[in-house]
Amino acid sequence: MANASMGPTSSAAWANDFDEWRTQARRLLHLGAPPASVTWHDGNASHDDLFSSREPPSMPPGSPPAPIRIGRDQLTLLRNVARYRVEGHDPPRWPLLYRVLWRWAQGDAAAMHPADVDGRVLHQRWHAVKREAHHMHAFLRFHRRDDGRGERYLAWFEPAHDVLDLGAEHFADRMGGSRWIIATPRGGVRWDGSALDYRTPCPKDWTDQARTAAEHANADEEHALWRTYFVSTFNPARLNHRVMTQHMPQRFWRHLSEGDLIPVMEAKARHGGQRLAQESSVGQRKGKALPGGRSALSRSSSGDDG
Amino acid sequence: MELIDKLSILADAAKYDASCASSGAPKRSSRGKAGLGSSNGMGICHSFTPDGRCVSLLKVLLTNFCLFDCQYCVNRRSSNVPRARFTPEEVVRLTLSFYRRNTISGLFLSSGIIRSSDYTMEQLIQVAKLLRETYQFRGYIHLKAIPEADPRLLEEAGRYADRLSANIELPTLTSLKTLAPEKELGTIHSAMGYMRQRIDAANDNAERDAKRLPRSANPKRMAPTYAPGGQSTQMIVGADATDDRTILQSAQHLYRDFRLKRVYYSAFSPIPERPAGLPQAAPPLLREHRLYQADFLIRGYGFQAEELLNAPGNLDLEIDPKLSWALAHRDDFPVDLNRAEPAMIARIPGIGLRSVQRLVDLRRLRRIRYQDLVALRCRLETLRPFVVTQDYRPADAQRDSTRLRQSLTQPQPAQMALW
Ligand code: SF4
Repeated sequence: MANASMGPTSSAAWANDFDEWRTQARRLLHLGAPPASVTWHDGNASHDDLFSSREPPSMPPGSPPAPIRIGRDQLTLLRNVARYRVEGHDPPRWPLLYRVLWRWAQGDAAAMHPADVDGRVLHQRWHAVKREAHHMHAFLRFHRRDDGRGERYLAWFEPAHDVLDLGAEHFADRMGGSRWIIATPRGGVRWDGSALDYRTPCPKDWTDQARTAAEHANADEEHALWRTYFVSTFNPARLNHRVMTQHMPQRFWRHLSEGDLIPVMEAKARHGGQRLAQESSVGQRKGKALPGGRSALSRSSSGDDG
Repeated sequence: MELIDKLSILADAAKYDASCASSGAPKRSSRGKAGLGSSNGMGICHSFTPDGRCVSLLKVLLTNFCLFDCQYCVNRRSSNVPRARFTPEEVVRLTLSFYRRNTISGLFLSSGIIRSSDYTMEQLIQVAKLLRETYQFRGYIHLKAIPEADPRLLEEAGRYADRLSANIELPTLTSLKTLAPEKELGTIHSAMGYMRQRIDAANDNAERDAKRLPRSANPKRMAPTYAPGGQSTQMIVGADATDDRTILQSAQHLYRDFRLKRVYYSAFSPIPERPAGLPQAAPPLLREHRLYQADFLIRGYGFQAEELLNAPGNLDLEIDPKLSWALAHRDDFPVDLNRAEPAMIARIPGIGLRSVQRLVDLRRLRRIRYQDLVALRCRLETLRPFVVTQDYRPADAQRDSTRLRQSLTQPQPAQMALW
């Protein structure tokens, strides 16, 4: 990280999460440190940047910084962009956010607009994060595994971005008094009916239980009902693989209790079942045409076997 | 009959209803409360079946016994299909069980007509009432409104349901007479009219409450809600010869007269033991797709049905309705993005509503350049002949529409595949 071209005014800053970044960024901004002069470090990796001091320099005494004004929408945008997990050659998050904030503070309001060279990246990331939170709301599956205290639900989920807390808030609203645990490859969260308990990394015990529950979905008998529903509500005459995978990427199928049915249903529809909308097993049952006409409406019994 | 067998029959019988939306409900939460379920206005698709359709709700019929003989319907009384009937408790059990496992966000319950319309409606209400009152279920509920039922029952249904729908099924009086002789357009309209009145009144009350009372005011004084997610309907496409213009005009009337939230279009799928006169062909999915696009232009972009189709006939299957309109109105183009009214920008093919808003925001900050359209991911090949920016004027602005159309359709034959 040592960079000979950096002058003595260069600084380094460390942040693990958005709030830490925000504190650092605020100080750097007040010091007037331009983005190019700051080296950002993400996470807890060890640092030995010889040209920077570990802590950003403190404020010059006697000059209270002018407050930087930033709208609530902008703050939400920046906070959510920080949830995006950067891969490969994508620009890392902290320098990007700081550059945008810097430009904003200079009066360049276009910096956060989706047509801007930086703003565009922000909005793409925000979109990806929102989408992943939505995926979690949609495709996470709970499996009932009661414990000593009674009814309890377990889920294993592999989010592509840092959206665990967004999901947890959603499920706390949704599940009311039911207790649950969500385990992910990074963190985990438990709801006891009244409070959320976050753990990073996810306790091994939670991970093991949640993964086992997901791998043995049929141990929860109600999943058989759901699978039956999934097959029956499908219209083979409208088979459309492309639209399905566009909305429900294949990476999620593995953990859906109905995921393994999809290829079978598609194959069946292609080999003949596609002529009718009716599910073939329903067609094989004994049918029953009913008597009566409009006048039957005034009679009290027909067509109703209870 | 086992519950699982009933489920397979009654889900199969319900899939012809295209709607599965769970959006538009007011904010509800079960955090720290007895009961189950939440809603926040946004719909959630919990899965997609291989037909590409969203699974958001448990969509079943209470029973597929039916006294009616609507020709297009798999459940008509003369159809030789397996029959079943759920008890209200069974539907409740399935709803709660699926909901806890996060496979659905609520229930969409419909039914064949048994005994009488009132009796059928009462049964549907019974399920919703059990869910809401006995189990304190706060997830989404969509109930089918039986048009012939007593208004008193429609009133009760709206107090439990987020959404109500009475299906119009066929776009004209004539097709209804031929294919569903026991249904009456007048009755369907008056049910829709009644529901509209109640929804409007509840909304007005809610607005008044919001002005008068502080947020934390005694909840008992809050106006009673009535189907807060509005009402919708469905039209079957391709069961008879009705053209798209008639269908869209009919939809436009429904939006205006009854303030429907949505009209759903359902491409007619071949059913077992098809009655004479109904098509055996594969469902016209592309036609259905074009109707949804046109419907969206009517609801969101300020188009009239008559603008999209100025003579009897069907929508162009080859190009989308907005592009089709633009090609027929070359005099209105190209549009200068730095000057035009937002409503006119929205009429440019290849620019969606979100981009319109972003362009309007952007031009307050600086002049719009062509590169901005790239950054906003607008459909460049489509919009190129129709826009002017600070640094761009289309070279093909003068080209005639037939040739332009050719150049716009040629490079993307793959897009013509099924939606
Ligand atoms: S009333 Fe008509 S459309 Fe409804 S279930 Fe009966 S036959 Fe089908």
